[in-house]
Order: sequence, then C-alpha cells, then structure tokens
Amino acid sequence: MQPCSREMQSLNSLFNSSSSSSEIPIPQLQNHSQIQINNNNDAFHNDDFLKQMLSNLPPSSPWTLDPNNPKPLWDPNSDENVTFPNYEEQHNNLSSKFRNHQITDKSAAALMLLMPTAADSGLLHMPADFDSSQNDVVNASSAGDGSVQALFNGFSGSLHGVAANQTHHFQPPQGQSFGGGSVSATNQAPASGAPAQPRQKVRARRGQATDPHSIAERLRRERIAERMKALQELVPNANKTDKASMLDEIIDYVKFLQVQVKVLSMSRLGGAAAVAPLVADMSSEGVSDCVQTNGNGGVHPRNPKTASSSNESLTMTEHQVAKLMEEDMGSAMQYLQGKGLCLMPISLATAISTATCHTRNPLINAANNNVNNGNGNHVVASNGDGPSSPGMSVNSIVKDANSASKS
Amino acid sequence: MRNLSSLKKEFLRKWIKGLRKYNSQKKNMNLLERKKAIKLSADLAMASTKDKTTLWRKALFANTSTKIDDEQDMSTTSSTPQKKVIRKNSTNSYPLRKRITGRRKILRRNHTKERVEASFIAMRLVKKRTRKLKSLLPGGKFMDDSCLVDETLDYIESLKAQVEVMRCLVTSSELFINQP
Repeated sequence: MQPCSREMQSLNSLFNSSSSSSEIPIPQLQNHSQIQINNNNDAFHNDDFLKQMLSNLPPSSPWTLDPNNPKPLWDPNSDENVTFPNYEEQHNNLSSKFRNHQITDKSAAALMLLMPTAADSGLLHMPADFDSSQNDVVNASSAGDGSVQALFNGFSGSLHGVAANQTHHFQPPQGQSFGGGSVSATNQAPASGAPAQPRQKVRARRGQATDPHSIAERLRRERIAERMKALQELVPNANKTDKASMLDEIIDYVKFLQVQVKVLSMSRLGGAAAVAPLVADMSSEGVSDCVQTNGNGGVHPRNPKTASSSNESLTMTEHQVAKLMEEDMGSAMQYLQGKGLCLMPISLATAISTATCHTRNPLINAANNNVNNGNGNHVVASNGDGPSSPGMSVNSIVKDANSASKS
Repeated sequence: MRNLSSLKKEFLRKWIKGLRKYNSQKKNMNLLERKKAIKLSADLAMASTKDKTTLWRKALFANTSTKIDDEQDMSTTSSTPQKKVIRKNSTNSYPLRKRITGRRKILRRNHTKERVEASFIAMRLVKKRTRKLKSLLPGGKFMDDSCLVDETLDYIESLKAQVEVMRCLVTSSELFINQP
C-alpha cells in the first residue's frame, strides 16, 4: 500500500505541476500505469517480433492475452485476461510447427491475429487432435464476424501458398463450418516448390504429377519457353505462336545472317574479275549442311555430287553469273533474267526481306560483287525450287517483278 | 541483353587488329586467300568478344584453329599471333567435346514405330528443326535443348553486330575509293 500511495502522491504532484510542463506528466503517467507492460515495448518495433513472440510463448504458461506478449495490433491496455485452458500444448505445437514450416511473417501474423480476435469473442477453440490430422483442409470457424471471415480468406490463401502441409484443424465450437471459400482453396495443395515434410503425402494439383522427374521436366520446359520468348524479340517476323514455325524463322534468320557475313567479307576484295572462285567457294560453304569442305582452296567448281540438288542448281547459276560478270555486266544481267532473277542492291534486298512478312522464306542468297564502276553493292536474288527446299531463298517479289517486266 | 553498340565496337577493334596482321602479305595473296583471311579474322574477333564463354565461341575457336593449320603456306609471322590466341582459348574445349559426344551416342535410338497422333507429329517436326538449327550453329551438335536456345540467342546477337560493322566498313571504304 505504501508504495502505492507514494506513487499516487508522485502522480498528484505531477498533476499539480505547472501546465507548461503538462506534456511531460502525461507520458510519465502512462509510463507509470504501464510499468509492467513496458518490458516488451520495444518488441513492437522489431522486425522479428514474431520470433520474439514465439520464443516468448513456450515459457509462458497459457496463451493469455497478457500484456507480456504484446502485439502491435492489440490494444496493450486491454486487460482481458481471457485464458484458454486448452491452448498451452496446442500452442506449443503450433509454434513448433510454425518454425518448421517457415511461414512468412504475414501469414503467421494473420494467424496470430486471428486467434486473439476470435478469442475476444470467445469462440475459437482449438481441438486436441491438432497434431494428428493429416489432411490439408482448413475449416475455419467464424462467429459470423465479417472481418474474421475475410481474414480467414486471406489467411487460407496465403497459407495455401506458403506451406503445403499445414495441418491445422480449426473446428468450430458449434459445428458451424466456415464457408466454402477457404475449404475449396485449400483442397488442392501445391505440389511443387513448397518445402514439404518428407513423410507427408501431398495431394497433387489437377493434371500435374508430384514426382521429381516431371517437376524437373516442367522447369526445363518453362525455361525453354522463356528463352524462346526472348528470341522472338530478336528475330523479325517472329509473331508465330507454335514452336515449329518459330524454329523455322530462327533457322532462316541465322542462315540469312551467316550468308550476309560471308558475302560482306568477300565484297571488300573488289574486282569482278576473280569472282568466280569466290562465288563457288561461298556457295559451297554457305547453305548446305552436308558439305563441309571449307579449308579447300578450291578454284575448281564445287563438285555437284556432294551438294544437295537444290544447292546444285544454285551453284551452277552462280558459276554462270560469275563467269559472265567477268566479261560483261550486260550479259550477266541477261542470263539472270532468263532464269527469272535479277540483281539488286543489298540494302534494298534486306529492306524487302524485312518488310514483307508473307513470304515463307525471306532468305536472300547474296552474292555481293563490288563492281568497279561504282554501281554499289549488288545482290543476286535467286529463286529456289519452291518452298520445299529449305536452303533456298524464295523471293517472290523479285520473281513477280521479273515476270512483270518481261510481259 | 547486351548493349549492341559496345559489342560492335569491340568486334571492330579486334577485327582490325587481326586484319593488320595480314596486312604485310596483302600483295602476295590472291583473292581467295584474302577472303579467307578476312573471314578468319572476323570469326576470331567475333568469338573473342565479351567474357562470356558460350559454347559456340569455343567451337568457333576450334574451327578456326583447324583452318589456320590448313593454311600453313602463309607466312608464319602473321599466323602465330592468331594461333596463340586460338590455342589459349581452345584448350578447354576438347574435354567438353569428348564428354558430350559420348552422351549423344547413348541417346540415339532406332525409332522403328511411327506414331500418327498429332502430338507426336508436332514433336517430330520440332525435333527435325532443332536438328537443323544445331547443324547451323558452330558447335551445335553438342548442345541440349535448353542450352541450344541460349546459344542461338547469343549467336544471333553477335552475327547481327558483325554484319552491321562489316556493312558500315564496306560503305565507308567505297565512299573513300570513289571520292577522288
């Protein structure tokens, strides 16, 4: 009593002090009244208040709304000492389970919040067979409290996302099960990714297996899919949706670029005179995948037997063109026109190939001849035998232009 | 995604360095050899850009090393710097090759039964095309599917950069030639 009265006296003196310092007594007053609360006040501001709570809980006896276990969402001044006799062991189990399952702070906080607020209404009741249930169904209880219901929705959703094997079994005291929302949400536990306890069986999602092989397979497929998406931005005309046509475009584009590099490396040499061996060499190197005779300093024309039939025609054509070009450009042009081809500047060719999306194979087989009279870079646009030959270039626009000019 | 212009600059620098090495014997070379020289130095330059050691780069180094060995008739002074670069970069590619070729042999099987379902047809189409792509890419025979897509991404980027640099060079040199 005496210390109490002394306290009271001090309080009175504080009250009687001047009004200028009125701010000071008030926090002091609050401090005085909450002396026993303050020991954990700093916990409010900790990031890991949850850990602190969990570490606090086991030594403390029942799960009370004691201010010794403060929560920022609680009103620390509330004196409700509602004790729940069943809670001690269950809460220990719960806390250990929480630690095991690596629950995020948010969901655990939600769980923690749920229990006291429901406890406020005195309706939450955790059954004794908490530990033994093995299903992943969460039936949340609700006193019809709308906020609690919403909380449970969010809670079950986050719980479902976080830990696949939560085995909480919240039974309503009055046998009133929660609405179908949470139940249906938790009927399907996610099969992958969750750090599951090894002994428990996880019910699989619809259409997905749980064994590690298929998981690895799925991961690999997803990785490939995202890389293909990245490729789509690089390659022009890549708005195809299925894999095969996407691969087609990629192949064509790579071939196109490779041929361009080869042609450009030749073009700097200048002079139409010695084009023939270069052309022969280039066409052999270029498109065919079965001919690998690179290091051959081949001045002689490429052996047609080794090349596929489509490449063979290309080779012969280019041979002729090169030979003709040596003599006279005009004859070369005539020869080309007889075949239904024409010469065009390489910049125009690339512009056409990128502009027209409807051609199947926009690849242009470029023979870049740096003509001495300064005509600029020219490209022989050749028509393949048709869309069936993969290595050939089909430039339908050139073909149409030629036929139009002839007629 | 790499910065394209920095890639181009690096490629240009290295290519010019390689070309200079061949400069001494410019008169002796015929056109074919000149073209090979240009292509070789361009390949080397492309393969040595950036620190990423993707598979196709290693394969490109290996290929160019064989090409250089074939051209022993050229003077040794020019080829030795390139050879040194190649040797340095290709030593670690050989064990990789051997390991992966062994795996490929095991994977091959004889498909005797042909299935007609749509999914199998689609799978076959895709497989045919991936095989084609693998043949295109240098060192592509040794890659698996996921690796393949990565490598093509990389390869397409460098090819694009190479083409643009070469084209700029060609047009500028043409202007230079035609001016006076």
